[in-house]
This record gives sequence, structure tokens and C-alpha cells, in this order.
Amino acid sequence: MAGGGELGGGKSERRGKKGKRKAKKRLGFRLDMTPLVDITFLLLTFFMLTTSMITPQTMEMNVPPEIDEPVEVKESELLTVRIREDGTLFANMAKDTPEKYTLKTLQKYVTDKNIELKNRCIVVLKSSPSAAYGLVVSVLDVLNAAEPDILQGLKAAGINERKRKFTVSPFDKTEDEERIKGL
Amino acid sequence: MSKIKKKRLGFVLDMTPLVDITFLLLTFFMFTAKFKSDSENQQKVEIKRPRTTVDTAKLADKDLVIIKVGVDSVLKDTAYYVSMLNELDVVNLRKAMTSLKFPGMDEKTVSFKVMDTVWLGQIIEQARLVNPRASFAIDADKRLRYQWIETAINEMRKKKATTFNFVTEKKM
Repeated sequence: MAGGGELGGGKSERRGKKGKRKAKKRLGFRLDMTPLVDITFLLLTFFMLTTSMITPQTMEMNVPPEIDEPVEVKESELLTVRIREDGTLFANMAKDTPEKYTLKTLQKYVTDKNIELKNRCIVVLKSSPSAAYGLVVSVLDVLNAAEPDILQGLKAAGINERKRKFTVSPFDKTEDEERIKGL
Repeated sequence: MSKIKKKRLGFVLDMTPLVDITFLLLTFFMFTAKFKSDSENQQKVEIKRPRTTVDTAKLADKDLVIIKVGVDSVLKDTAYYVSMLNELDVVNLRKAMTSLKFPGMDEKTVSFKVMDTVWLGQIIEQARLVNPRASFAIDADKRLRYQWIETAINEMRKKKATTFNFVTEKKM
């Protein structure tokens, strides 16, 4: 490009006059920026391609500590969500017959029941050991997603505090499997 | 007038704004870039994280014990890969596990490959001793059976680590 030539050439008469070196403002000074831009673009593309923008998210879980004596709960306040090994979701209150749910309908069901029972609903998640972990997380996600609606519903009912009760419980081979068999 | 295209000699383009913006982007990407740590380099498992919508909390970047559950791409076996984020903790955990004679480790191990429940319990206990403030995070592949996660949860429960995180990815 044109820049390189202008820098060095044409000004030889200035050389040798060392005594008269006054800082002269160089008008129209031009620097060739091409190599700079080249390198910068190279580095830019490198960093753009190596950075991963997606940072992992987290989902916090709380499980009750292992204690020997069982905690007594009212069965009428117990909402059980079961995940069968084929990925079907079942939910029921207390001793009712479990019914099939999808992720969407489950959210509504959990929301309704929580508002109905005014904070006393205890959600228990029982997942078959053979169910996919991704599905379990989806169910947890749905339970989390239901929280804002529950809060709103409770507020409408005059309750401003939300006490969330949730636990994960092992899937009993005989009892739980029997209950959702053939549904 | 004839409209013959004249070759413009000595054409100069002002590159200053271009360079400005490029440098700005370059510095941005340089500062945000995060390079892979040792433990990520050591493992050969690929983890497809489950996707969630609600949670926006970011994973802590210190005082964390990460339990990865994944399928080894070479050996095709599922195992737990336990690692700690703080470098000092890793050194201490390595010392502790060496004295317990944990199989299949050397002085460079960062991510401990655990195959059975007993060792998983042991390593969780040691991690708790090394850094009592550390929280646990389970980073598992979504296609795995829940059994693997349930076992890990039970082991953590036994060691009184009742609060932990599931590492997920945000749904787009």
C-alpha cells in the first residue's frame, strides 16, 4: 500500500542537522495499519472460536438428612409423583389411584393442589431406577416452574409466605411398581 | 464525457475505526475466555447435560466438589468422576486418597474415577474433610439411568451433604 513509501523516502535533507532538531508536528503522518489489523483479526477469530458462551446452570436440591426414625406426615397432604421406567409420569394425592400426566399437565396439577392445601402439600418424587436422569430433572424443573404460580395463588388466598416441602424418596420395587402397573 | 472506470491509484482507506472496534472485541473475548482446566483435559467422557428453563443460578467457581457421571467414550463404562475446583483441595484430596490406597491413581490425578459405591462414599467423606465448606454438584449425562444419580445422592446423604446442585444447561 501507499503508506510504506512515504515513511522513509524523500526527507533526506533533514538528516545531519542534529542541532536544529525541533519537535515539528508532522502533518499528514500516515502509518500502515494493515499488519496490525491482520494480527488483530487473527487473534479475534481465535478467541471468538475458543470461547464457549454457554455457562452451566445449576439446580439446587435439598434432601433430608439420613435419620433412623421416620417422619410422620399426614397422608392427605402427600402428593406423590412417580416416574415409571418407560418415562411415563404418574401423580396422585394420598391413596388415590395414580393417574397419567404429561410434564405440562403435571405442572398445573401440582400448582392446583398446592394452592388448595395452602402450603401444607408435601411433594414426594419417586423415580424408577431405570428412568432417564434427564426426565427426572425435567420433572424437578416443572416443580420449580410451578412455584411462581403457587405463590400467586397463595397470595390471592391471603397467604404471603411459601413453605415448600419437597423430598425424593426411593422407588419401592414391590409397592410402587404395583400401583402404577398397567396404567 | 466518457465513463471509463479510472483505476484509483494510491487509494487510502482510513482504518482507524475498524481497528478500534476490532481491538475492543479482541479485548472482550480475551478477558471472557476461560481455558480448560486440568481435570477437563484428563477426562474422556462427554456429558450431555439436561436442559432446564427456570433456574438462572450460575455454578459456583470455587469451593465445589464436582461429581461427574458419564460414559467413557473409549471403554464404554459408566463411572463417577470426582474432582474439586480449588487447587489446594485437589492436592489434599490426592494425599488423602493415596493414604487410603485408592486404585488407579497417580500423583497427577485431578479427576478421580470411581467405579463402586464404597469408594464413592469414601471419596465424598475425604472431600468433606478436605474442605468442609465445599458444596457438591452432580454433573450427569441426561441419558443415564436415574439409578446412578440415586446412588450418589444416597452416598452424599450418608455423609451429611444434604444440599447439592444438579448441573444443567439453559433451554434455548
